Amino acid sequence: MIVNKKIITKIEGEATLKLYKKNEIIEFAQIEFWQYRGIEEFLKNRHYLDACVINPRVCGICGHSHLIATAKAIEDALNIEITEKAKILREITLGLEIIQNHIKWFYLTLYPTIKKIDFFKAFEFSKEIAKIIAIIAGQFPHNSYAIPGGVTCDLTNLDILKIKNSLKKMFDKYQNVIDIKGDSKDLENLFNGISKELGKSINKFLVLGDNLYFKSNGDVEFVKEEQSISFNKNVLYKDEFVEVGPLARNLNNKLIKVIYNSYKDSIYTRIFARIYEVNLIFKYLLKIIDEININEKSYIKPKNCSGTGIGIVEAPRGSLIHKVEIENEKIKNYEIIVPTQFNLSNGTKNKPSAAQASLMNENEKFADFIFKCFDICAICVSH
Amino acid sequence: MHSKSKVIWIDGVSCYGCSHSFYNYPEIKELLEKIELIYHPLLPSNEFKFQRCDILIIEGAIKNNFLRLDFDLIELISKLINLSKKIILIGTCSVYGGIFGEGVLFNKENKGKFFKYKDKIISIPGCPPHPEWIAYAIEMILNKKRLILDKENRPKEIFSYTSHMGCVRNEYFEWKIDAKNFGEKEGCLFYEQGCQGPYTHSSCNKILWNEVNSKPRAGTPCFGCTEKTFPKKNLFKTETFMGIPANIPLGVSKRAYLTLAGVAKSLKNERLERKLIDDSE
Ligand code: SF4
Ligand code: SF4
Repeated sequence: MIVNKKIITKIEGEATLKLYKKNEIIEFAQIEFWQYRGIEEFLKNRHYLDACVINPRVCGICGHSHLIATAKAIEDALNIEITEKAKILREITLGLEIIQNHIKWFYLTLYPTIKKIDFFKAFEFSKEIAKIIAIIAGQFPHNSYAIPGGVTCDLTNLDILKIKNSLKKMFDKYQNVIDIKGDSKDLENLFNGISKELGKSINKFLVLGDNLYFKSNGDVEFVKEEQSISFNKNVLYKDEFVEVGPLARNLNNKLIKVIYNSYKDSIYTRIFARIYEVNLIFKYLLKIIDEININEKSYIKPKNCSGTGIGIVEAPRGSLIHKVEIENEKIKNYEIIVPTQFNLSNGTKNKPSAAQASLMNENEKFADFIFKCFDICAICVSH
Repeated sequence: MHSKSKVIWIDGVSCYGCSHSFYNYPEIKELLEKIELIYHPLLPSNEFKFQRCDILIIEGAIKNNFLRLDFDLIELISKLINLSKKIILIGTCSVYGGIFGEGVLFNKENKGKFFKYKDKIISIPGCPPHPEWIAYAIEMILNKKRLILDKENRPKEIFSYTSHMGCVRNEYFEWKIDAKNFGEKEGCLFYEQGCQGPYTHSSCNKILWNEVNSKPRAGTPCFGCTEKTFPKKNLFKTETFMGIPANIPLGVSKRAYLTLAGVAKSLKNERLERKLIDDSE
């Protein structure tokens, strides 16, 4: 057996992929992340509100999900209710972050592993999406407008109108990437000459967040971390490895289900679910924006100052968990579990994680492609 | 025909927010077509190898015992600095250290590991820096234009402004009317909510983020993300000294500020004391 060690870059950080292979076929794979940045330690003894500034810096592409998870965890700890208006605005900015992430991932990260593409296409969307987030949140990346108790902004109907118009425009434009019927030239071109059966995995799915239209199918209580060969910890659900992310949370969509029934959890299904999810989010956001009551309060001042709490959101890559312990307004303890930890845990040959399983028995020339279809975020892992 | 300037964009301990901020630059395609981007951690580029370059862009902090591309990060940066003509440090991490470690030029208030290369360095702090600032620094070098820098090597065309300049809450600042709460259009965030705008070097409220907004405009205090002190503690609360903000606007004495504040407060601005939008006549 030959072992091939390769540093994988262009994944918001780096990881090492160790491939055990016979001829060109991958028999087993191990994934190592070796970096550590110490965010959780950095938070200790700070006022809990500081976490709304520090935590987005876990990640430049999905920092907003970290912000929302932070606000939710603290709200859970301090028993805070927020208004419907604040909830809807958070849904919009979080949904938009997922959208820009997926488009960048498709054209910038995934496509170049197989074929040449004009990757600037991604930015034509992402900069406009960022602009809509900024109308609500001040800027993108790295805003801190969602704080325990609500949001800091106080929009007018002019803002809402602008947001709505831009949402519609972007939704229309996105039909050229993949339309609502599921037709996509770029996706078909990507798989031209490549089997859609490639990269089947463990077929076990978990959704923990209930933001946007997603429905949770589990309980965070059963999530456990364990040591692994890598710096990051493995994450299991009821002692099993699971897959989180767009495929997991969209299996109840009719169109995605049809594709799943033909190709199971192959990378084609995974990629389809991811880029098609953008359409579903656009549709959802265009619905909820009409439900905003501008006269509601944006923010309600918290009363309690100690407690423990959990915040969960469906982030671009799947279920993201933040846990906080607050004592007298100060953070005593903070823990973050990111989606990439679920998907890229290090199991064994007999009990592989989602990413490992999808690599096994495939030709090594597809390793990068299969690996990156999970939209790995090394930087989130090395928080 | 001139050959294009060679650019290497290298990442230290980072969150890649600087890169993602740059992606929002409206003319990114045109700009990248003007240069030869030999390496970038996220954008499609060739495999990394050591080579000479005209511009080295560093994103992220430095830290001991940190591997990057299988090299020790500090050795990697040191080699690259020696191979490059000009260096642009982007982001507060790479200029001062920020959240993740030490900066290249400074280590918070102190000189940094690579301070001796100051002459070929341009500092573009910000967490993240505004995309226009990054593009500006690259363009100025490409066009061989003279940059006027301050003592921390920040271009004055960007950093001689404060983030307070251009804020829509300026009238409230003038009349010393504080925001009663988060989530309201009315009031300035300088007195209670911790806004650092009046003493933070940045043109963000002038040129605006994503061309539409800024944090203080959206009701979030300025956190001073372009400064060596970022991130301070208690970012959402104004530190006070004898009832007035402990840090006062750049360029005025405490006494002058106190006098002015006292006068402004005593002369009420009736219009600004009320809600901006309501049913009253
Ligand atoms: S300066 Fe800020 S945005 Fe840039 S890498 Fe550092 S933490 Fe991220
Ligand atoms: S909110 Fe901040 S930036 Fe805006 S006027 Fe007040 S002090 Fe200046």
